[in-house]
Amino acid sequence: MRKEVKQAIGGLIMVSPSFVLLLVIVVIPIVQSFVTSLSNGEGGYDLSRYQFLFTDKGMRSNILFTLKVTVVSCALVLLVSYSLALYMRFSSGKLVDWIRKTYMIPLFIPGVIATYGLMNLLGNHGWLARLLLPLGMTLPRLIFDEKGIVIANIWFNIPFATMLLSSALTGIPASIIESARDTGAGKLRIFLRFIFPLSYKTFLVALTFVFMGVIGSFTAPFLLGPNAPQMLGVSMQQVFGVFQEREQAAAMAFFTFLLCSVLGYFYIRSMAGEEAANR
Amino acid sequence: MVRLKKSLTALSALTLTVAALSACGSKNDANANAAASDSSSNSPSSSASSSPSVSSSSAEPVQFSFYFTGSQNVKDLWDTLIPMFEKQNDKVKVKEVYIPSGAGAEPTYDRILAAKKAGKGSGDIDLYEDGINVVAQGTKDDVWAALDTSGIPNLANIDPKTMADVSNMAVPYRSSAVVLAYDSAKVSAPPKTLDELLDWIKQNPGKFAYNDPSTGGSGSSFVTTVLYDGLPEDDIHNSDPAVMAKWDAGFSKLKELNKFVYGKGIYPKKNQGTLDLLANGEVEIIPAWSDMVLQQLGEKLLPDTVKMQQITPGFNGGPTYLMVNKLSDKQDAVKQFLDFVLSPEAQEVIVTKMNGFPGIELSNMSQAMQDKFKGVSEGFRTFNIGDLGTEINKRWQSDVAAQ
Repeated sequence: MRKEVKQAIGGLIMVSPSFVLLLVIVVIPIVQSFVTSLSNGEGGYDLSRYQFLFTDKGMRSNILFTLKVTVVSCALVLLVSYSLALYMRFSSGKLVDWIRKTYMIPLFIPGVIATYGLMNLLGNHGWLARLLLPLGMTLPRLIFDEKGIVIANIWFNIPFATMLLSSALTGIPASIIESARDTGAGKLRIFLRFIFPLSYKTFLVALTFVFMGVIGSFTAPFLLGPNAPQMLGVSMQQVFGVFQEREQAAAMAFFTFLLCSVLGYFYIRSMAGEEAANR
Repeated sequence: MVRLKKSLTALSALTLTVAALSACGSKNDANANAAASDSSSNSPSSSASSSPSVSSSSAEPVQFSFYFTGSQNVKDLWDTLIPMFEKQNDKVKVKEVYIPSGAGAEPTYDRILAAKKAGKGSGDIDLYEDGINVVAQGTKDDVWAALDTSGIPNLANIDPKTMADVSNMAVPYRSSAVVLAYDSAKVSAPPKTLDELLDWIKQNPGKFAYNDPSTGGSGSSFVTTVLYDGLPEDDIHNSDPAVMAKWDAGFSKLKELNKFVYGKGIYPKKNQGTLDLLANGEVEIIPAWSDMVLQQLGEKLLPDTVKMQQITPGFNGGPTYLMVNKLSDKQDAVKQFLDFVLSPEAQEVIVTKMNGFPGIELSNMSQAMQDKFKGVSEGFRTFNIGDLGTEINKRWQSDVAAQ
């Protein structure tokens, strides 16, 4: 047997376990739910379930609400995480040490507990309201509102995003920045020309993870969100578990998958571009 | 918990080993379900616990397995009732299998069904306790035994209408009702009728909350009561989709209420969601399950000033049912037990332990008990509208929540 063929077979064998796993737990369920979502309940197959997604007033506002919460959460999470990561990379001192030691804590607090904690903190008669009361300040409604969901998403996603971004920033050689500074580049210029482009890939990875996490989130929106409009995850659970309309829930799931795959496309394209460049 | 389980397993393993070594061959192990179910398929009597030395002839008691789920108060109830029963009937032993709430009660029904489909008989589950959904599901799948007064004389104590609702496939042995829970420090004269309640809500904006009906029975009860207000009495026992057309008036009332309820249209999730709001003083009146209120008053989770009030027409209550596995080979023993559960004596324990309503009609209870429920039980109704409950939730979501 020729060497290349041997190598190809070896490669295939090494790839196959992960491929089979992917096939069984990702690809087949997606195909199945797509087929389920196409059935119109009368034996035929059409796009009526998807039509309902965009024509029903409640559903349409659910989708828009989900997108809005997701975009706002992503923007805020990345803003905070990136600033934190930059601060940890380029500053030193006691404060930085403390941040470095503590910013991961939210990762280790279970979601439900954190959510109830937020409810106790931010509710109408919660801790924060009581602390602000002597100062004559009243809180806007945070719980049972989209603001509550966004706050919870920030809490859940900042640690991971910060971890990713700070490892990327650590990878930028100090020599580059120093030489740029020597030639007289200002802080903003260094950031825009060197730091951001060099950490852009990781930024995209972080964005992808935050986006996927937020768009499919359930616990926080279920407990903290308004009754309507709902995030897609909450609505999907209701349609599936309470209304027991499997086909409609499948259509919503597939639609969410499509939304995620848009981002996934950019992610994969940028990764593929990197690989091509490395070759 | 895990450690306890481990030590139990170790203990039961030890017990089994000792039993095998001493060549008595009897199983008196209450934990090894798997072992018990294996042996029961061979010979039904071998899973009965008998003392090793006594000869296992006709005197051997029959043991059946009783699966139930719920909160700790349900477990406490059966821990009291079963010894009472066994004292009276030394021929029958009850093996209780308690599955804590939320720890997979669903699989119990799946096990019953799977055992039936696999031709394995009862799957060693002879008696099962659950809500109306499982009763209906099991009736559809034909796994429950039909019950009548010939085996269970005390069945006559139950309202025949309630039995007809479940086609005699289950015994509604206790009920909890939804009531208004209110803070008496803030509300001096609680509403007594539904109309008064609706007026109160409008006059006190933001001080009433009911939970999202798809997430808990108390909110669902409020919605159902408003929808069926003014409709014929028969409609609450009717699962015919034609009734849906009569909901319009009720839904427009609920829509109108939207801007007067807590947070101008916030409906917390779960029964506990509204109780939390009552506990921290954000609202003053909520619909709530009577047993949850009594329990949380006992645990000081709710302020002492919280009191309960039933309205007319009454909120619906939910009976909890006992179902007999059709394929059980110990049905006689099970029926003996059910007869005991429906006796006034056992029902009194249920009332005092669970803070619930008795399953049998009040006229069969002692005078003291009848006095206790005077005024409260009159307003309490049983709804049986089948799949229409789902339709209500669906329409509530689109009409009321997302208006």
